[in-house]
Amino acid sequence: MSNIDKRRRRLLKVGGTGAVGMTLAGCTGEGDGSDETTAEESGSDESGGDESGGDETTTEESGDSDEGSDSLDIGMVYATGGLGDNSFNDMAHTGVQDAESEFGVSYQNSEPGSPSEVANLQRRFAQSSDPDYDLICCIGFVQAEALAENAQQFTDQNWTVVDEVVEEDNVDSNVFREEEGSFQVGHMAGLLTQMDFSAGAGETDTDNTVVGFVGGQETPLIEKFEAGYTAGVEHASEDIEVRSAYAGAFNDSAQGQEIALSMYDEGADIVFHAAGGTGNGVFQAAQERGRFAIGVDADQSMSLPDYDDVILASMVKRVDEAVYRSIENLENGEFAGGEINTLGLEENGVEAVYGNGIGSEIPDDVTSAVDESREAIIDGDIDVPTEV
Amino acid sequence: MSFGRLPTDRRLLAGVAGLVLAALLAVEVLFPANPVTDVGAVLVTIVADANYVSSVLRLTVPIAFAALGGIFAEKSGVINIGLEGLLIISAFTSLAAAAALGGGDPNQTQLWLGFGIAVLVSTLFALLFAIVCIEFKADQIIAGLAVWLIALGLAPFASKVIWGQVNSPTIGTFNNWTIPVLSEIPFVGPVLFDASPMVYMLLVAVVASWYALNRTSFGRWIEASGENPKALDTVGVDVRRVRYTGVLLSGFLSGIGGAGLAIGRVGQFIGGGTTMVNGRGWIGITAYLFGNYNPFGAFGASFLFASLDALQFRLQQVGYNIPSELIGIIPYVTVVVVLAFVGRTRIPSAAGDHYESGEE
Repeated sequence: MSNIDKRRRRLLKVGGTGAVGMTLAGCTGEGDGSDETTAEESGSDESGGDESGGDETTTEESGDSDEGSDSLDIGMVYATGGLGDNSFNDMAHTGVQDAESEFGVSYQNSEPGSPSEVANLQRRFAQSSDPDYDLICCIGFVQAEALAENAQQFTDQNWTVVDEVVEEDNVDSNVFREEEGSFQVGHMAGLLTQMDFSAGAGETDTDNTVVGFVGGQETPLIEKFEAGYTAGVEHASEDIEVRSAYAGAFNDSAQGQEIALSMYDEGADIVFHAAGGTGNGVFQAAQERGRFAIGVDADQSMSLPDYDDVILASMVKRVDEAVYRSIENLENGEFAGGEINTLGLEENGVEAVYGNGIGSEIPDDVTSAVDESREAIIDGDIDVPTEV
Repeated sequence: MSFGRLPTDRRLLAGVAGLVLAALLAVEVLFPANPVTDVGAVLVTIVADANYVSSVLRLTVPIAFAALGGIFAEKSGVINIGLEGLLIISAFTSLAAAAALGGGDPNQTQLWLGFGIAVLVSTLFALLFAIVCIEFKADQIIAGLAVWLIALGLAPFASKVIWGQVNSPTIGTFNNWTIPVLSEIPFVGPVLFDASPMVYMLLVAVVASWYALNRTSFGRWIEASGENPKALDTVGVDVRRVRYTGVLLSGFLSGIGGAGLAIGRVGQFIGGGTTMVNGRGWIGITAYLFGNYNPFGAFGASFLFASLDALQFRLQQVGYNIPSELIGIIPYVTVVVVLAFVGRTRIPSAAGDHYESGEE
């Protein structure tokens, strides 16, 4: 605590400008509620000293005012879909909001309009000295190339990247085992298509056992979804036909709609999408044909409530968890630079979340079978492929 | 020049034949394990499916409307390469207007009102383009690019202002129009008589455009304005007015295409990346060039591109994995081939040139 007092005094000496006055006001404003966090803060300074030592040398002054406000500054660079995508970016946003309410961190959002802007936004955060960002979270695979460069250039900066691996000592990489979560929803779809099941606005066609998959672009990442999903369907029964197709874009909902319609017309009961905005067309098609769909990344029966009568479940990627964990680690002075965190079913990084509208109507024997396969995957009894 | 179309048709035929040959060749190269006959059998079952043809018609709508619009503008002498932008603007406006009118859950009437507003806004946007090109003599290509770029930035920005995000919330879509009795006819019924209103509008628009261009004095003015504006001026027709009309028509028709895509089909505006329009306006341009400025030709080309697309994602489902990116470039490759080898698509002589009346 004496440590903090010293800092405050130093702050007062430096002070005089309005900005500092404001940080001070914020400081006192936090008052008694932040006792715990302050204690943690000073602790983290000691243990994290070596790792983030560079921070202090680059811009000492702002480092001071930084510590004066007793909170970490987080820069968020989102993926090009932008906030309000009801899935990936919004979940990352949730993660940093959780960290805000838990640790009192402050953060700044930036949304690139196109992939070419990503590098610039990363750099802007890294160069900033007011505030001096303690961590820059780069969301989405679109960031990787730019970050590989910027991480080398700004070696003193801590970075977190979600959905990609950047092998630098100052980058905390977080990737998901999408195939495991996709296996789960595939298993569910495979079991349901063999049944006579109806719920909400949809029902299964008992004449066929067909399910579908719609991907955005044919990248290794999206193929992980397809591979896991297909394996999950096969786990339910070898006889089920899986029809899969890629739309070639993540923003072409009309295309997604036509692809899904063609699948439903061929007897598909359930279509799983991993196609961003393109996937919204899949839900529309499901409603049109009175069949089912499975959402991705976030619980889409919640984020797109208009479609909750056809969304059986969503393969949720806990992007919020990844962002939160990374900030938590930094807060505890254990920033995982250079590490690759792989978040699977076991780490709750991915999971099958049943739909808000009709998920409760899924028969118990289906959900318990899905639970069993979850355990089997965690125990290593089921090996989920990552390639089609 | 409506009677000189025979060579055009031949060129079209040659173009299609060339495409088919190229496709067969691609099949041989891509799937050495499956002889062409196998793939052919798969193709026949897919193409003979009524669902396939309905799907193609729906995919054709925005492309063909943009193409029809482009014909009017370019034939009158103003090259409008901003069609993509007009589609984006109208797609966005239709959603915004319908959602505003219906408070998030618009009924059919409010959807149609939103549709009308979107067409109006797209037409106004085209008017802006026309003023810049005709009044201020701006380079048409640059102004057209600006239309696209402005729309590409403006629509997602406005989405953010209205909804706080680049993607709009979801709303309803137009109900299908089902014509009693006729819709019971096998194959033809579900394709033509139980379809989206957009499909009917397109079919009407194609015939109407052809009629207007080939059978009315307005059509002759449009043609003269693009081929020989001085002659038109000499007989006392105001070239500027003809050109304004041509460009406004391109805005009007593209507006129908864009709004039809957003509230006719999807019920949402997606503003990320290239937006939900995703290049359909550009394909529209290639379609009317391929169709040599003939509305029927443009419709045929749009239909061809859409059918290849619909075919591609069906083939993927049965294990013939043709990269969709490859199918995506077919329209552009076709246009290069058609322009360079098959025979010239003749661009109106005065297209792209500013015309200054001698009187002023």
